[in-house]
Amino acid sequence: MTEYVKAHLRQIVAIAATLVIVVPLAWMWQASRMPGSYSVMDMGYVDAGGGPVSSTGHHGDHAGTISVSDLVEDTDRAADVVVELTANQGTVTLASGRKVEGYTFNGTSPGPTIEATEGDLLEVRVHNEDVDDGISVHWHGVDVPNAEDGVAGVTQDAIGVGEDHVYRFVVDDPGSYWYHSHQMSHEQVIRGLFGGLVVKPAEADSRADVLAVTHTYGGTRTLNGEEGDVAVDASPGQVARIRVVNTDNGAVRVWTDAPYQVLAVDGRDVNRPTEVVGRRVAVPAGGRYDLEVEAPARIEIGGSTAIVLGEDPGAVDQPGVDLDMLSYGQPATLPFDPTEPDRIFDYSMGRRPGFVDGKPGMWWSINGHLWPDVPMYLVDEGDVVLFRIENHSGEVHPMHLHGHHAVVVSRDGEPATGSPWWVDSVDVENDETVEIAFVADNPGIWMDHCHNLKHAAQGLVAHLMYSGVTVPYRLGGDSGNEPE
Amino acid sequence: MRSAYRILAIIIAVEVVIQAMAMVFAVAGLGIWVDEGGVLDKAAFESEDLSFTGVGGFIIHGINGMMIIPLLGLVLLVVSFFAKLPGGVKVAALVLGAIVVQVLLGVFGHESAYIGALHGLNAFILFGSAVYAARLARTAGVETPTTAVAA
Repeated sequence: MTEYVKAHLRQIVAIAATLVIVVPLAWMWQASRMPGSYSVMDMGYVDAGGGPVSSTGHHGDHAGTISVSDLVEDTDRAADVVVELTANQGTVTLASGRKVEGYTFNGTSPGPTIEATEGDLLEVRVHNEDVDDGISVHWHGVDVPNAEDGVAGVTQDAIGVGEDHVYRFVVDDPGSYWYHSHQMSHEQVIRGLFGGLVVKPAEADSRADVLAVTHTYGGTRTLNGEEGDVAVDASPGQVARIRVVNTDNGAVRVWTDAPYQVLAVDGRDVNRPTEVVGRRVAVPAGGRYDLEVEAPARIEIGGSTAIVLGEDPGAVDQPGVDLDMLSYGQPATLPFDPTEPDRIFDYSMGRRPGFVDGKPGMWWSINGHLWPDVPMYLVDEGDVVLFRIENHSGEVHPMHLHGHHAVVVSRDGEPATGSPWWVDSVDVENDETVEIAFVADNPGIWMDHCHNLKHAAQGLVAHLMYSGVTVPYRLGGDSGNEPE
Repeated sequence: MRSAYRILAIIIAVEVVIQAMAMVFAVAGLGIWVDEGGVLDKAAFESEDLSFTGVGGFIIHGINGMMIIPLLGLVLLVVSFFAKLPGGVKVAALVLGAIVVQVLLGVFGHESAYIGALHGLNAFILFGSAVYAARLARTAGVETPTTAVAA
């Protein structure tokens, strides 16, 4: 035996060294492979953020639970606004005349703008005519009851070809929102399955209302499907509210020649906005900024498209500095105290080599873990929650929390000094830490993910889960539900 | 095994050349596209199908750099265990080390342009060590018949 070992020592060492490299890799590869279908509740590990772990539905504890599908709007109340949306797949002709391969709602992309008034119960009947992968509709920025959130495999099953689904929810907060598919969203949104949603205030507003839904189709930026300058009739001196809705995967910059005010961010009014000069506004992916501008004016959106309000004053140079919302407007009393949170969560994004569902690569990590081994942030209803979102991944991430609006508390330790800055979509730059806080007041299971939807598809997705909520739906290839 | 070692090293060196070409192809195409009126910002850059000649260069660079070349580097190291080349394991480890550094510089080049410059410099270190590995296998002479267990 020893003679044999001596004679073959070199080969034995070589084989051992190979195994030292190959076996851990093979094990990691095997461990990363996802089953044909799985429940979101079995994903990752519970992070209670320093709070109690009471009756969680995680990993099969079903004591005192409520199903996501029961978290609906008052079923006895009649709808105030009814909208029908039919989804199709194929060649899309944009308002500009350009033809692209993609998806439509009611034959157009963007789909029809849905308008409602504050307090209305909105009922949207969705029909999927021929989108093979199935669809769903998420109401981006509207804090709907969980069953209406439109996330395939988490809050509903994808709507298959020929199937229907009805969404019902009350729009309490006037502002600018949008809707988009949350099934195969990294594919369906960029290719057109979205539209604008405007909730008008109960009291009429004298300002002209201009919606500017910006989207990049095949590298060409559009506003409401149009290209270049989009003219809006306005007499000199007329004041307009420009609702910039960013449906892309990255931030878009907006600036104008005239002084302007930021009236609202993500459907929440800014407290006592002031006039802005020499600054541009950075609207994160998924975010909405409402600007007040007086005609005549030219509102540049991303540099290749513009809203021209009244007579065109001509091209405007782009300011080099973003308006900092951390110090914009006047402070106001918050409805809760973010300095005494019940739970503090870390959402630290990085990037490291590894396997995701068997695929090797440099993947996004959350708190050092790769998808699906990511935190399941657990809260109880009524908790004050502080999220410390850190980014060490080398790239900006536009973070979007479903079902809630959070107030930005600080950025890199610098406290917010302006108007309460409420967000549902916020850019966290590389090497930046943004703290946001909110009250857990909307039970369910809510995605908390990067709205650069390619990044979400690459695993930059976690969930916020309320104690006692269970999910009857499944995710994964065999389930037909792939929300990212 | 020595010829496997040599061929892998050559492939890695060629891959580095492809990486450089892909990147310049992409950046040149981007420049032309901007000249012709294209406007690039984060939203446009992240849109799925920016359409200009050369855009594929970014994709090739990403897939090659983050998946294929690291895999080739690992295989070279494993092959080096069996190749019985004097210094073969050391040089393969050097190649793999240069690849790891290159990926990290590439990923974190997004936060500082100077890191991007180092990424360009390290490409030559990687290329040089891969060529050195190929020459090592070549100058070590014709592979002697061996009873080595197949890897």
